[in-house]
Amino acid sequence: MANPLLAGRGSRVLLLGNEAIARAALESGICVAAAYPGTPSTEILEAIIEVAEQCSVYVEWSVNEKTAFEVAYGAAIAGLRSLVAMKHVGLNVASDILMSSAYAGVEAGFLVVTADDPSMHSSQNEQDNRWYGLLSHLPVIEPSNPRDAYELTKESYALSEKYKIPVILRTTTRISHTRMPIVLSGEIASGRNCRGVFRQDLSRWVLVPGNARRRKLELVKTWASIMEKEGEEPFIRIINPGSSKVIIASGIAFSYVREALNLLNAVDKATVIKVNMPVPLPRAPVKKVLESASEVLVVEELDPVVEMQVKDLAQTEGYSIRIRGKDLIPLNYELSIESVYSAVKKFLGIEGKTPWESIGVVETPTPIPPRPPVLCAGCPHRLTFYIVKTAANKAGLKNPVYTGDIGCYTLGYQKPFETQSTCFEMGGSIGVANGLVRAIDNPVIAVIGDSTFFHAGLPPSINAVYNNSHIIILVLDNLTTAMTGHQPHPGTGISATGKKTTRVLPEKILESIGYRVYVINPMKTKESIEAVTEAFREYKNGGMVAIVSRMKCALEVAREARRSHVTLPLYAVIEDKCTGCMACVNLTACPALIVEPGAKKPRIMSDLCIGCGLCASICPYKAIIVVNNPTPGYEKLWWEP
Amino acid sequence: MNRIYNIGVIGVGGQGLLTLGRIIGLAAIHAGLDVAVAEVHGMSQRGGSVIVNVRIGEEPSPLIPVGGADLLISLELLEAVRYIQYLRRGGVLVSNDFIWPPPLARYPSRDEIVKSLKSKEINLYIYDANKASTEFTGSTVSANIAILGFTMGVDEELEEILGLEKVAKALEEVFKGRVLEVNKELLRRSYIEGVKIAEKRRGSR
Repeated sequence: MANPLLAGRGSRVLLLGNEAIARAALESGICVAAAYPGTPSTEILEAIIEVAEQCSVYVEWSVNEKTAFEVAYGAAIAGLRSLVAMKHVGLNVASDILMSSAYAGVEAGFLVVTADDPSMHSSQNEQDNRWYGLLSHLPVIEPSNPRDAYELTKESYALSEKYKIPVILRTTTRISHTRMPIVLSGEIASGRNCRGVFRQDLSRWVLVPGNARRRKLELVKTWASIMEKEGEEPFIRIINPGSSKVIIASGIAFSYVREALNLLNAVDKATVIKVNMPVPLPRAPVKKVLESASEVLVVEELDPVVEMQVKDLAQTEGYSIRIRGKDLIPLNYELSIESVYSAVKKFLGIEGKTPWESIGVVETPTPIPPRPPVLCAGCPHRLTFYIVKTAANKAGLKNPVYTGDIGCYTLGYQKPFETQSTCFEMGGSIGVANGLVRAIDNPVIAVIGDSTFFHAGLPPSINAVYNNSHIIILVLDNLTTAMTGHQPHPGTGISATGKKTTRVLPEKILESIGYRVYVINPMKTKESIEAVTEAFREYKNGGMVAIVSRMKCALEVAREARRSHVTLPLYAVIEDKCTGCMACVNLTACPALIVEPGAKKPRIMSDLCIGCGLCASICPYKAIIVVNNPTPGYEKLWWEP
Repeated sequence: MNRIYNIGVIGVGGQGLLTLGRIIGLAAIHAGLDVAVAEVHGMSQRGGSVIVNVRIGEEPSPLIPVGGADLLISLELLEAVRYIQYLRRGGVLVSNDFIWPPPLARYPSRDEIVKSLKSKEINLYIYDANKASTEFTGSTVSANIAILGFTMGVDEELEEILGLEKVAKALEEVFKGRVLEVNKELLRRSYIEGVKIAEKRRGSR
């Protein structure tokens, strides 16, 4: 069970796109890597963390993407190769330093990996981050599959060092989260010297207006030079030159175009330009192909970033050819082989049936219910939401508005909780609450996770106290960054590589800002309802209150219980006592509680129940009881005092 | 291999689908084939609908088209119905005999689901992989391995492309120690069960 990430040159290993980027970065000799977790980018840093010690790489989960960028950039201006990775929206957070880093440049290869999420599988938008290349005048490299990601990551380091600027590597969910066999073409560098030198150079590192103006001229020169000189492999490739029909494909779109042409037996019917550097689009090779073209189709996912550059080029050169793109290729969501196949077919004027014949849908007498993402069985957020809603009733807190944030707890927007009325961006729960209280008379409760609180929750928390915005802050502290796969954060006191470090507690921060903080353990449902009721009463009397609800993520508890051979309680519904009132089912929406078709009473799926006990505490008839012998002291797994 | 062989691995997050996809991908490597294994899942850690697209063939793009799957392996019956349109005419569906209903939902019974599936032109196999796993390992955690073994037994095309030995070898890269031994044995047992069922079906035709 050797780690494929450490396999030797020549090995053929199955790597996730993100792992391929990590391996290539290690081969490129990075000394520093930093990130804030975010789907679909997370596995890049996770892969590096696994081998960080063997490879002598410094690696960290930073508190947010801006800081992660700065960490990696700091190393790069001191002459060490480095990497920062983030999801697409993370680059919005880091965009301030991105723009400046383009002006000041780097001393060693520096890669900014942005993993975009077309179709929004796990995101609030599907922005196309190739625009950031045009905005910052930095080159964007875009692989078409995980194998490409491996090779192009290495080429990106060379490019970054050649021009002494940061390089943006843009992947998408479909590349980051696809595994492919990759033949490793290099070895991981060993015995490197990871000590850099910071050379004082005020005209470069101090971007006061006079210096920034000079640096902008340098940047414009570099931009033009890349556009002119990098018009060959590995950044652009011309396949089957000489055809009058031309298809230009960038990133993942190339994989679909290639397969579509194969299916249509039309590989020789079009010249294909495979664009690996969509920004800036190399002009010379495209110009040469356009000279003999009659019609062009640009295939790319999301925005017409390449299409606009091709049209710009054709206009400048005075070519009067039809350039098609977003009229045939959707502007929204992920591409698919079906959508690209039909566009290519139409473009080439080929007739015939599609090669796929579905058996169609299957109708069932009761329709198949949707399966939206849900809070896991035993999820602490379920307990907290129940407690907070119950306490709000008890304290007479009328029609509270729950501003929400980014994390598993966002799922609280669903019934029966309805404890998230907004979800925009990291830290937005508290920020937007600051504004809502200026507009409405309802109490506003800002609900934010622990990792999100450290990421972007501090400035708006301070803002609320400073500007006297009367809000309630609810920090859901499950002692991990759960949604992205359980990464540690400052509140855990554990570093990325599992070392003990200073623990930063949300309640200490909030207290020092000026909040009266109530820390609750939601496993103790009754006590917690009392405490939160008191907090709400204090709020009604004008107090600035915050609540920290601390209970470990159920998945972590289950994992630790297995590891340490602790038996957690297992609950069951006692048929004789159960009246079928369904309070447990309707108030918890726990995936472990099911009602079979035709059944009048619920049943607990023993494989799923991990013994949080919420259903038992809700049951008015005491019909839900523990039916095994839990290990004494099992509660400690849930709560760390 | 000229054409691309498409396998959709479907079920509910937490059922070991990503591991199953990875094992098939590793087996393809051992068989000297190119492959893409694309994981499609939403924002939840557990309990969401998941499909892993496994495409075996030269430089495949990542996603299986609707009507393009030669084989669907489902760890859950409701999900089998949800993704059924991915199956091509005459394709094979192997589903775990297990329903995991979403919270607060009304859903069809097992018999209704099976009857509806049988109305289609597909090769349908329902196999209790949870039971196979529980009987041998004490929990449902290896249901993914059990259903893979069974599928290798009933689907001759998959067996020809990958080979049981290559799958067993792939397990060595994913598990270790006792878990590896148990899973290897479970793979073999469920494979034999599959072979028997397939033989019986051929005999009755």
